[in-house]
Formats: sequence, structure tokens, C-alpha cells
Amino acid sequence: MAHLSLTPTLKLISSGFVWLLWIVLWFSTSHTHADTGLTVPQQVTLSPNWGTQELSISWLGGGATTFDLIILRTEFNETVFYETVSPTVNKVSGLHQWTWTSVNPLECTSLSVKIRSRAGQYTSEWSQTETLQGHDHPNSEQRVKAFPQDKVLPVGANITFCCIMDERMFFDKIVYDGNATIVTRLSRRTYSTTVSNLVASRPSGSNMLCLPEDKGKLYGAVVFVGYPPLPTDFKCETYDLRSAVCQWGKGRDTHLYGIQRGTRYFVNNRDCTEVNQDVGQKELNCTLDTWEGNWTLVAKNLLGQYSLTDTAELSHRVCPVAPVQLRVVADAWNASLSWHWKYDSYSSLALDCQVEVTATEDEKLIKRVFSGVGLRSVFLSDLYPDERYSVKVRCGVQQNFWKWGKWSELFSFKTKTYVPDTPDAWIWLNTDNTGTVVWKPLTRRQSHGKLTQYEVFLWSPEENRALAPTVTLPPNTWSMPVNLTEIAFFSNNSSIVANVTARNDAGSSSPARVHLTSVEPLAASRIVYTDQGFPLFWENNANATCGYVVEWLDAFCSQGCPVEWIKLPAGTTNVSLESDTFQPGVRYNLSLYSCSSDSRELLKRWQGYAQELVPSVALTLSASQQNADILLTWNEIPLVNRRGFLLGYNIYNSTGYQFDLLANLPDPETMSYTAKDFTKGTYKFTVKAYTAAGENTGTTATVTIEPYADWLILEILTSLGLVTLLLAIVTFTCYKKRKWVKKAFYPDIPEPKLPSDWPRTQGPLDVKPSPHSMVCVVETPEYDCIKEMLVAIPEEDEDDEGQGIGDESVDTDEPMSLRYYNQMVDERPIRPRFPDSSASSLSSMGSAHTDVTYTGIQTSGSSLVLQLDPQGSTECYQPQLDQSVSYGGGGYRPQMQPRAPSDDMGLPSPESFLEPQAACSGGYKPQGSWHLDSPVDAAEMGSLAPSLGSPTSVASTQFLLPDGEENRGEKRQHSSSAASWLTNLLSSTKP
Amino acid sequence: MAGRSTRSINGSDGSRTAPARAAALADLLHYECSTLLELFRKKENFTEDVADRRMVSVPPPSSQLDTRDKLWRIHSALLQCQKLLEKAVAKEEEELGGGKKGEYENKRKLVKERLPLLILSTGELLKAAEGTTSLTPSVEGLELNVPTNLFDLKLWVYRVYKEVNYWSKTATNTLKDLPSVIVKERARTTRARNRRSTRR
Repeated sequence: MAHLSLTPTLKLISSGFVWLLWIVLWFSTSHTHADTGLTVPQQVTLSPNWGTQELSISWLGGGATTFDLIILRTEFNETVFYETVSPTVNKVSGLHQWTWTSVNPLECTSLSVKIRSRAGQYTSEWSQTETLQGHDHPNSEQRVKAFPQDKVLPVGANITFCCIMDERMFFDKIVYDGNATIVTRLSRRTYSTTVSNLVASRPSGSNMLCLPEDKGKLYGAVVFVGYPPLPTDFKCETYDLRSAVCQWGKGRDTHLYGIQRGTRYFVNNRDCTEVNQDVGQKELNCTLDTWEGNWTLVAKNLLGQYSLTDTAELSHRVCPVAPVQLRVVADAWNASLSWHWKYDSYSSLALDCQVEVTATEDEKLIKRVFSGVGLRSVFLSDLYPDERYSVKVRCGVQQNFWKWGKWSELFSFKTKTYVPDTPDAWIWLNTDNTGTVVWKPLTRRQSHGKLTQYEVFLWSPEENRALAPTVTLPPNTWSMPVNLTEIAFFSNNSSIVANVTARNDAGSSSPARVHLTSVEPLAASRIVYTDQGFPLFWENNANATCGYVVEWLDAFCSQGCPVEWIKLPAGTTNVSLESDTFQPGVRYNLSLYSCSSDSRELLKRWQGYAQELVPSVALTLSASQQNADILLTWNEIPLVNRRGFLLGYNIYNSTGYQFDLLANLPDPETMSYTAKDFTKGTYKFTVKAYTAAGENTGTTATVTIEPYADWLILEILTSLGLVTLLLAIVTFTCYKKRKWVKKAFYPDIPEPKLPSDWPRTQGPLDVKPSPHSMVCVVETPEYDCIKEMLVAIPEEDEDDEGQGIGDESVDTDEPMSLRYYNQMVDERPIRPRFPDSSASSLSSMGSAHTDVTYTGIQTSGSSLVLQLDPQGSTECYQPQLDQSVSYGGGGYRPQMQPRAPSDDMGLPSPESFLEPQAACSGGYKPQGSWHLDSPVDAAEMGSLAPSLGSPTSVASTQFLLPDGEENRGEKRQHSSSAASWLTNLLSSTKP
Repeated sequence: MAGRSTRSINGSDGSRTAPARAAALADLLHYECSTLLELFRKKENFTEDVADRRMVSVPPPSSQLDTRDKLWRIHSALLQCQKLLEKAVAKEEEELGGGKKGEYENKRKLVKERLPLLILSTGELLKAAEGTTSLTPSVEGLELNVPTNLFDLKLWVYRVYKEVNYWSKTATNTLKDLPSVIVKERARTTRARNRRSTRR
């Protein structure tokens, strides 16, 4: 505590003030620290652990339980760590200690550490800075360095590398396992990178490469990434009943190899690493000299360790070793097998031993288990003579069975030969009492050794003597022909038995007996094959003392047939007969024989197919006509070609690509069919035979039905009758309706009339033409064109061309007014008017000859009939008035109907006026081109029905043109003649 | 490379001279060592090459060297390569081995087995050139200080492979130039020896 004394002098006062100030300051400072008790930490010490990258920081004093700790990278003065920590305190020495783990290797760059005490909000001064010098310090070795080196890390961990470059080098990049990484600069020369979530490395480790810009220089570090060991299935057992052999599985791959990093194994603290160095070894083991009962396996590497334990009594873990020195003493049907044990202690061990015997020929495996104390030999029975076998043995303990021991080595041996089995013999008799004694070849298993021969001898049981010397046959012969007729001669007709024996080195077999008796054939019944074969049933036969024989062979085989048979025991009443030799489409005869001591008897016969097929050949078909019927006949399909039971025939009529079933004939015996009621034509018929498998391809016959004479005559007469009747009806109808016909097709032609006051003076004459006809008045060519004539001039549109005019003349209901000019020069007086209009028209023209053409009539334009009135007064043509003229080179003449009662006045058409040159050329002809050019015109003209009855209605609707087209006119002459004939006919019928 | 995989020292010319056979053997070794280097680079993901730095110590090449000296130089270098290679393989197997053996390990074994054959061939040629058993080149002073950290060990192994590769190529070139000369010089040596015998 401070103590103050006051002196009343100035000097004293001034010096006292200074002191006071100092004391106050000291007091205030002392008071602050004295209150919190915080002091600056002293003796800060840094202890790096380079391998673990841990920095242990210790200090003394501070008077606090918490401290602020700051760690900086010295060179760049970057804060790496700044936290308030609670260090551990050594109560004896008072040393505070706290450990910091660096992300970067501690060698990477220098680190500075400062500490201050903290009590709540109060803190002490920072301690002196302590620096951990990094390898990038200028005083450090001047070479490139990379850290950390040879680190071992678990899979999934992160690692931070750093590279310290040389003063004269420039950094380029850091590559990890071939990939460039993101780099952080820690100091002037140090660069770092962090690789996260590491994957397992290869055996030689993953490389981090520090690459300076100066190519060709390579620096770096290796890191090994893997797993801690994880062994499995740790078990101990004994082979010699004394020591223990412990085994375990390696488990997952640690990816760490070599002496330094590989897994080390310890069983009960015994190092078992050396014996398990093989990399490919999956099962590891370790032998302990004594049975300890409890075992602990410890597997460890740099990343960790794993332990497994096992506990067992010795008697529960006995695994016998493999038997050795196998030996076999073989007989024909059995063998004795013996072996030795490696350990004498097995002599008192109760064992179960598995013996596997494999026949070399068919590799059939026989497994047998034998038991016994100290078992070392077994007896193998049920072997085959003359057979090669291989055998192996393994054993396990009977009590507290643990596992089977290892198999012994294979040992091969061969059994001895033995007499052959009795051959299976039978006889096949032909119809001529000859036959063949046949027997089935003995298999190797039945031969019991190599066969040397077969022997056959005939024996009479009644006389108990041989009927002939024994026949010896080579071992590859399995039949012998016999003649029952000859044999019966020697046997005095007593029963005969053929004895067949086989012989090998061990002796002869017992004989197979076959009774050589012929049998009466029986009718065969059909049998259907099933999935299990031919189902054969029969009643038990008391005489069948030695059973039955079922024999089968091809039904259509006659000589030397390959007969097959099976023998069935007595009492059997059914069998499903199946054989690999059954062929589809082959009919088999199956026969059941009873067997007795003195004979054989045929009991039953069947016929059947293992599989029916369609017939293999087509029919021979012929067809013939019988009037309107067709008779089809065909031949029978040979039995051998039927390949099934024939069920019938199908008759088809083939029309093009289609087959129409005409008939189904379910009776296979039917060989003909009549197809009825066919008319003239060609027909194809196909006949197909069918079995249960279906139809065959069929045979087609073509028939052409010819009409016969009666039909021809009848047809002709019928046709003639019909024609006659038709003509009669037409004639009668025409006669009855002649008025209508006349009116419809040939109406009367109206006569032109001249009024009585025909003007003498020149001037126009207006005429209103008939609505149904147009009359063109032209001058005949025979007259001089310069003479006066009547020229029709349309009142309107005189300049219109022919088409317009034509239209107008046809379509206009009102008759067009025509104007005529009387230009007659001839001063002769006008003749008196004839009552007939036509005559008056002629006379009205005086000396002038005027042709009148009617137009606008809808009739065929191909013909023109002009009939001149015989009473006409035309001066120019008087000699021709009686002719019906068809003009060729001379042109046309106007038609004259002197007695036509029509009131219509025919007037010249405007066209005749418009073509005066044509009119002067000396004749007229139809203007075919005029009215055919336009379909409209034609239609319009067609619509002019009222024009029927016009004088030119049967001739033409065309204008008469001068004869420039004589040929056309000539062609029309014939039709004109026909029209003339019809006109005359109708005229004659006029009342 | 694929085209070279069919290389064989058994040429169609059955009357090949010893230098030619040795040259072919050296060429084959060079090819296989090149393959080994490539496999090593691939295995270790060495994206950048390492600058050559000779590990073998022999006299520098010179046009003044006669055939015998050239042979001696090659023979000596190959002997040093063998020492280096054996050390490298053993050390690599010890420190970095384990795991299943693959193509790299097989090729390494092949190179290791073939190098002594070439050394034997060059030794025979050297013997033929000198007429007597030549002095065995010394391998003392050879850089056999194996690095302690594993990355440096890998670099060291790589350099050893490059050294073998370099000297097998050098041997190929040298041996290809030898045939006519060596016979001539052998004849000269024999004549000289005969003369010395005559004087005695």
C-alpha cells in the first residue's frame, strides 16, 4: 500500500507532485491487475509434432483459466487461429498446455504464437511472440520441398499439401494424381493445396507433384490412402490332435502394401505376418504348437487395427488329414480299399469316411460312407466286372463332427472279368417257315469281359438231345437263319428249342432258350400311340409260365426284317411300348406272345403308327364327262405310302386360286365320285386323301364340258323363234301406230303459198317466217346470177355472221320478219297461182328458179331427201320433176310437197342471202360444218322440237351449200335412199 | 511402338557377326526400356518429364577413342546400369511393392533379365578387341544412395530407367559402327602378339 507525507515547501510540493503522480499511476495500474489477478503468460514454448501436424503450446503464469491464443503466419502476418482456449494445467509445475492441430503441415511456413490471460472482459497484455520456424525460412535449406511426405490416410479423408519453392524458381502448379489443384499461397515461397475425400490409392501411392515453371524438374510427395484391416472368419482347428491351426479371411483390400504399410497379423500375440505375405492369398493361417482353447487375432496397419476371437475344445475342432497310400484289391463284383493315416493318434479316433467310386466308362459316381475307429480299410461291393474305377476318400470325426477332411489322391483300379449275362434271344419267322434266331448284342456291362463268341445249338426237349452241332458265331454276329421245315424233319416233329450262349475269357453264359414253333396269324386291331407309347392291354394267360414277349416290326417288311422285342414277366397284363426306333409314318405290327416251357403262342396283334403322317404320294386321278356330269375316278394309294390310316378323300373344285370343297368321302374304299350338273366350260377337280395327320397334296384333273348336238339345235331354233316373234311384234305395232309414226317421224311438208297481190314493182317484201321453219330462197345455179331474184334480208343485223344468224333463227319464238326484194328483170307475167302452196311458190317467181331450203329442223343432217313435185311448173327443171334426186355434182334441188296442207310459208334463210357466191356456184349441199361447230347450236337446234314436220325434217337441218363437197353428198346418198324408202312407205300408208 | 513390338534379335541373316547381334540386343533392350519408362510414367501419373542427369560415370565420348575404348566405355556404363537397376528394382519392390503384378512389373523383370545379356555380349566383344580378358570396369563411386522419402525414391527409380534407356541406345549406336573395325583390329592385335612372340 502507498503511504503519503505532505511537506509545506514548494520544492517539496513540486517533487511531491511528481511522486504523487507516479504513485497514482502505479496505484491505478496495480489496482487493476491486483483486482483481476491476471498476469502476462511467461515462458511460452512451442513443441511441434511434424507427423501429426500438431503444435503443442505451453506457458507459465497468467493467473487465469482461459487464455486468448493467436497464431499467425509469420511472413504474411495472416491470422490462422485466434480463440479463447482453456488449457490443461500441470498442478505441480503450473505449466499450461494447449495443442493446436494445423491444417497445413507445420513445415510449410513459419508460425507466430502469442498468448494473453483472460478473465471475463479483462485481459492481460500479450505475451512475447514465439515463432515456429518453417522450412521456407531463408536460413532453411535452399531446395524445393514438399510436405507432408509419405503420409498414410484413410479413404475419405482430406489432406493439405504444400510446396516450398527455391528462391530462384517460379511456381507453376500443383498436380495431384494427374489433376491440377487449386492453390493457396502461404508465404513468399510456399504454396498449398487441399485434396478432399481421398480415394484409395494404388500400391505405390498417389503422387502430389510440385511443378515449377522450369520444366524438367519434378518435386512432390507421396500419400497412401486405404482402409484399416477387416479380417473375417477366424477359426482354429487341429489336424494332428495336438497343435492348432488358425485360419481367417483377409477381408476387404486395405490398399496398403509392403512392410511399412501392409497389415500385420498376430494370433495370441504371435506374429503371423511372415507366413501371410502372398498378395493373392485370400485365406490366411497361423499354426500354434499347442491347443490353447482361446485365440485372439489382431490385424493392424497404420490406419487402425481389428480383433477377432475364437474359443473351442480340441475334440470339437478335429479336421482329419487326407488319407494317404491308398491300395485296392479288386474282384469281379467288389473290391477292398485300404489306406494309411499320417498321424498315429488317428488309430483311436472314431471316424466317418466318404468313399467316392467313379466308373471310368460312364463316369457314374458311387458315394458311400463307412464308419469305424481309426478306419483305414473298406469293402466296396456292387461293382461291375471288367470295369475301371477311380476312388478317393475323406474322413471326419464321428463325435463332435467339425468338417470333412481333405480328399485323398485319386486311386484307379480295375475289376476282374466274369461270365457274360444270358443273351436276350428271339425268333422271327417268315411265311415260308424259314426264320432267323436273333439276339440282342450284349453291352459291355453285360459282357463282363471281352466276348469271344456266340454259340447256338438246337435242342429237342422232348428227346433231350441236340438236333445239330453247335454253331459258333463271332461276337459281332447277333442272328442265325433257321429253316423250320428241315429242322422238323430231324426232330420227328417234336418241339425244338434254340439255345443261345455268349462266351468270354471267364466262360459261357447260361443259354437263352427260344422255341422254334410257327404260330397262326391273328387279325390285327388298330392301336393309337400316346405320349407313353403304344398302350397294350391283354388278359392274363395261365399258360404264360415264363412271361410274355411283345414283338414289333415294320408292317410292310417281308424278308429279313429288323424285329424288336421285349420280354415281360408272367402276370403282366399291360405295357406301354416305347422305343427309340419308332419312326413316324411307319406302320408297326405288334404281337404279344406267351412264353411257356415248351412253346410260344401268339395271343394278340395290333397295328399302329407311332406318328401318322399325310400320304406321301398323290392319287392317280382321271375325269370324264357324262352329259352334264363329271365322273372322277382314282386309284388306291399303296399301303407303304399311306403313312397313316387312310380316313377318306376330299374332293375340291378349284377355281383360280380357291379350292371349294365339293364333297368329303369318309370311306377310304371309295374310288370314284360323280360331280353333277355342270354346264359348258372347263373345270378343275382335286382329290386329296387324308389321314389323322391331314391331307396330302392331292391330284388335280381338268375337264372341259362340250355342248352336245341336241343343245345346239335347240338353241338355234329358240333364237330364230325369238327373232321372228320380235319382228312380228314390231311390224304389228308400227302398223297399229302408223299415224303416230307418220306424225312423229315423217310429218307432211307444208306448201309454200304466194299471196295474190304479189307486187310487180320493185320493193322490199316483208315476210314473217314461220316459227318452225326458215325458208331460204336462193337462185339455182343454172340461172344467171345477175338475173333478178328474191333475196331474203334480215330486218336486223344484216352484218351478222352465220352463227349469230343461226342462233337467232333457231331461238327466236317469234318468226323473224324477212324483207324480200323483187329484183326480177324478167318482165314475163306472173303465172296464176296454184292452189298448192309449193306450186304457187314456184310460179310466183315466174321465170326465176327459186330453191327453198327449210332450216331449223332437228333431224339428222347426214341425209337429205328432196322430192320434187311432179306437177311443179319449174321451167328449168321440168324433165326432172318426177325424180327424187340426190345431187352429186349438180347440187340439190328444193323439196317440193305439192300437196302439203301446211299453212306455214317457207322463206329463204338469211344465210342464203349472205352467201350469194355459194348460191351461184351451181348447187347446194348441207352445211355440215355450220351446225356442228357449236355444241350450243346443236343443242339449241335439238330443242326446236316443233320444227318436226318441216318438209326437210327427214333430210337435214343444214343449209344447202354449193357442191364443193361432192364426196360427202355421195356418201349421204345411201341414207337418203333409205329415208326415201321410209317416206314412200309412210306415204303409201297415208289414207 | 506397335510396329516395334515384333522386334527380335534373331534376324533372318543367320551369319550375323557378334557386334551385329550385340547391336540388335541393345536395340531390343532400348525398346523395352522405353516401354518400361512409359509404363512407369503412366503408373505414377508423371505428367512432366525429368531432366536427364547422368548417374553413370564413364569417360566422355570422343572421336579420339578407338574401338576398344568405345567398347570399354559402353561395357562399363552398362555394368553400372545393371547395379543401379538391381538396386532400384529391389528398393521399389520393398518400399512401393505389393498388390498384383501387372504389365509394368513384367516389363521391369524383362529389362532386368535382358541387361546382363547385353553386358555379356559387350564383354565378349571387348575381350575380342583386346585379345585378352579385359579389365573389369569399376562400379565404385556409383550413386547408390537411395533417397529416403518415397517420392524421391520414385524419381530415382525413374532416373535409373532413363539411364538404362540412354546407355542401351548408346550401345546400339556404338555397336552398329563396330563390325568391320573390330575384325581388322583383332587381326592387327594378333599380328602384334605374334611379333612379340617371335622376338622372344
